[in-house]
Amino acid sequence: MAARHKSVETKYMEDREAVLRGLRGLDRRTFLKVLAATTGAVMAKSLMPPHSFQLVEVANAAPDKTASAAGMPGKPPFTFAYVSDTHLYQRTLNQRFVRAAVKAVDDVNALDPQPDFVLFGGDLAQLGRREELDLGMQILAEVKAPVKMMVGEHDWFYDLGDTWQEMFGPPNYSFDWKGVHVVVLMSVHEKDFWTARKMTPAERMHTVAGLDNGIQSRFEVGDDERKWLSADLAKVPHTTPLLVFSHSPLYKYYRNWNFWTDDAEQVQTILKPYQHVTVIHGHTHQMLYNQIGNISFYGMLSTAWPWPYAPTGLPPLTIQMNRADPFDQFDGLGDGRINARADGLADKIYSLWDRNPVTVKADYLVSHGKTARPPAPQFASY
Amino acid sequence: MKPARTLLLSLLAATAVVASVTLVAAQGPGPLADPKSENQAGFPTDLYSWVIPPDNPQTPAKIALGKALFFDDRLSADGKISCDHCHAPAKGFTDQLPTSMGIRAQFGQRNAPTILNAVFNVTQFWDGRAPTLEAQVQGPVTNPVEMGMKSTDDAVAKIKAIPEYQKQFQDVFGHDVTFADIGRAIASYERTQLAFDSPFDKFIGGDQSAISDSAKRGWSIFNGKGRCMSCHGWNPTQPLFTDQKFHNIGVSAHNANFVPLARKALDTLGKSGGGEQEIDKLAIGTDMSGLGRFLVTKQPHDIGAFRTMSLRNLLVTQPYFHDGSQVTLWDTIDHYNKGGVQNPYLDGGIVPLGLSEAEEDDLVAFLASLTSPEYAQPAKEEYDLQFKRSRTDRPQRDTAAANGDKGHGPGLAGPFGDIGPAQTSENPALLGGD
Amino acid sequence: MTRRSIALATAAGCAAIFAAVAHAPRLCAQQAPPLPVHQVPDSKNGGTVVMLCDGKTSVEVKGLKPGESMTHAQAVEVTRELMAQWQREHPNEKWEMAKTVQSSQPIPAPPPASGADAAAKATGAKLQSKGTQQGDTYASFTDRDYKVWKNETDNFVAEGKQLFHDGAAIGGTIGVSCDMCHPDASNTHPETYPKYQVQLQRVALLRDMIDWCIENPVKGKALDPNDTRLRALEAYILAQRKGVALDYGKH
Repeated sequence: MAARHKSVETKYMEDREAVLRGLRGLDRRTFLKVLAATTGAVMAKSLMPPHSFQLVEVANAAPDKTASAAGMPGKPPFTFAYVSDTHLYQRTLNQRFVRAAVKAVDDVNALDPQPDFVLFGGDLAQLGRREELDLGMQILAEVKAPVKMMVGEHDWFYDLGDTWQEMFGPPNYSFDWKGVHVVVLMSVHEKDFWTARKMTPAERMHTVAGLDNGIQSRFEVGDDERKWLSADLAKVPHTTPLLVFSHSPLYKYYRNWNFWTDDAEQVQTILKPYQHVTVIHGHTHQMLYNQIGNISFYGMLSTAWPWPYAPTGLPPLTIQMNRADPFDQFDGLGDGRINARADGLADKIYSLWDRNPVTVKADYLVSHGKTARPPAPQFASY
Repeated sequence: MKPARTLLLSLLAATAVVASVTLVAAQGPGPLADPKSENQAGFPTDLYSWVIPPDNPQTPAKIALGKALFFDDRLSADGKISCDHCHAPAKGFTDQLPTSMGIRAQFGQRNAPTILNAVFNVTQFWDGRAPTLEAQVQGPVTNPVEMGMKSTDDAVAKIKAIPEYQKQFQDVFGHDVTFADIGRAIASYERTQLAFDSPFDKFIGGDQSAISDSAKRGWSIFNGKGRCMSCHGWNPTQPLFTDQKFHNIGVSAHNANFVPLARKALDTLGKSGGGEQEIDKLAIGTDMSGLGRFLVTKQPHDIGAFRTMSLRNLLVTQPYFHDGSQVTLWDTIDHYNKGGVQNPYLDGGIVPLGLSEAEEDDLVAFLASLTSPEYAQPAKEEYDLQFKRSRTDRPQRDTAAANGDKGHGPGLAGPFGDIGPAQTSENPALLGGD
Repeated sequence: MTRRSIALATAAGCAAIFAAVAHAPRLCAQQAPPLPVHQVPDSKNGGTVVMLCDGKTSVEVKGLKPGESMTHAQAVEVTRELMAQWQREHPNEKWEMAKTVQSSQPIPAPPPASGADAAAKATGAKLQSKGTQQGDTYASFTDRDYKVWKNETDNFVAEGKQLFHDGAAIGGTIGVSCDMCHPDASNTHPETYPKYQVQLQRVALLRDMIDWCIENPVKGKALDPNDTRLRALEAYILAQRKGVALDYGKH
């Protein structure tokens, strides 16, 4: 028996071998086909009773009292997972971020039931190179559930999105899922700061890749895309819950680090008529949440490195995550899930690696902190 | 080590243990079992004053009672297994077996941890499932593959029936035998097993000649390139070489498929998550043992995580790791050097180290310098055996992985973390004691 | 040292130093150029001249041959004379005094424990209470951890304090110790580094000035940056200025 048994070690090595060597030739069509093929299986599987080894999920799988008590007819609840901000370099340069991205994929693949889809939150690459994006696509191809791609500034500013769009299609799109209208935005457009400075594409990319330089422009969704958004929403009733994915937070947190979207208010105005709006964003690499009017915001964790909280502008509802331990490359990082509830609200589970997961209930946000307060960190940011 | 050979070795050693216990019964447990003095180089006076629980102060009578119970095989169901069966003073308060043999020659799943300095443990057992030494006692006594008592009541009844004990319990606690007091007495005895005074402690105290140059280099690697210090923490206040925490370093990934195993454990333990005794049974008696800390916390990040053990007196507490799977200190260092065993729950601090053979030898020399004087002779013999073996037999060595260039395509490094540049930090050993 | 004299020298010396740094940044980051050494005037009587850290004020110890140790009484007299001379020359300058009560962060009050946790708490095994982000491995600490940290930190500072009051222990040869001029580490202003230091004619860190003092008034050999004694002195000096805002470059 011992000889036939394939240990986790062996299987893991073999899997990674396949990912990193065997799938070199994967193109966009193959990538998307993989997703289509698994969708049916995943949907069938999600009908099975919840059976997870994560107790936190068992707790959250309890019937949604808010919805049933309110007697809402409701839509079927569903769960999706996310992986975000992997910041992959070429693998000859940096293995650390590869290891982390692979861990995230393992994590979401171990979920049972499987999530309806996995959102990738942007910044797949670090410097926007084709090799980096290729590596990212190969790693994400291992995700069992369908993957929904979002673009980040690190994917974009080397060739202004040519490679990313060739691989993954248009950066902004929408779809309907189990009664929810889902919108994916490209929120990291910048005004041209490079032409006048005669920057090469690499210099432009390096500038955008840093937080604390004063040269680059602020992120924006931009006129064209806001028009597209208005048109897209024109046919969606105001009672339909909205899920909006953006790479940068769709509000103004800290301008100096571009934790910021310059036309955030205009986008919020477009979303205002809807009863339930949840915005999920990447870019900030930390536990971060906010409520502005009808809109609940959740930031996603990164798999590459955690960022400290900015010196000012932190939304008052955000309870900081524990300060990360630099010995452990995974600390302060992770992935997560969003439970889209029958009542149109969405809860967020921060699956912090090497920490206990933290659930942030929508009730906490919509009550402006009056109920369901998430746990406090033992060590907040300095 | 091949399974068949392990078993054979275990059986042989077990026979020896049984023989020695019989001998002990006749002659008493010997000087190594005596309570130890606090007057030892490197003894953490402050820490010791913090860890004696106010509700169970140390008294000579209680310690003597605890010692009698510790060496009394009547605490087991068949009257053959005493605590020292697996925690023998001559073997550094372990059994020197990969995993321990309990009642009716049944083998458990875990390597017996030493009693030496257990007084300083923040939690007990490899997975920390007991919060105190007092609470820990119940585990082995009632575990069906260890001492096999049906219940704590049975144990109390059996002890109560022995007249000397009846009197001693009255004298020490002022009332009849209870299981909590059995725990208190044994814990008090265990708290007297203090093991410092090693050559390393003398070196830190300022005696530059107390350890070899190789051990000094090892201490430097321990602090630097080897990244050992971050988990096996040492400082004068807490000179234990452990962070008292739980890390997945991949040991049980050799033979455990974590995700299905974790589901199985949750199913078995039920919605309540199981009580201490249920967890104890899974940890000692089933394949779910490999889940480690997860059985206690049910948190995914604790899957396959085990408590960081102290590094003192390693040359009398072999073999190593929670399952006793590694035979020599070179094997354990080889394990870390290649970045542990890959698995989805591997601790993020475990990365390839790129240690050379000479650096590994230096690290072992340093570890050998952590031996307390009463074990100097057996430790030297064990060192010689392990050294000899390490020249020919290195099952865990994977130099390519250790150097970060395990191939995944031509010229590509492995996907499991970068290896840092060699550190050229100053040797703290040469900068004088702290 | 005086704020005024340093400010004057800064204007003249700054540009040259920055230019040098810009040309050799790697050298600068890895190894500081050798410290300039003050030329202490020769003794007229074959005794030993002791100089204050301003590089000007000096006192001759009569009858003390180079290499000989002063008695403690001699040393106290010398430092008193040096300080008096400095005060006469700088009637409007104030010698900054440090606060005296010192300790690292107090141990935080343990979170309230539930009844079931009481036994565990007795041995310091209790992890933080519910309502706090948890995880056994990283950034989850017990009461004992806090105690260990505090003990280690306070011991380190205490070691520095002891060295600060013992010239011989840091290699001094003439009985001068740090506390003579800097009681309670007053006027060591660790919060003002990095800053341009006139004696050195370059930008200095606190440790550079500790070493300067060890070489000059204390008459010992500069300590290696990794020397535990230098680290302990630095720890003591920083600890004495707890609560003071960092203000680099201040004169």
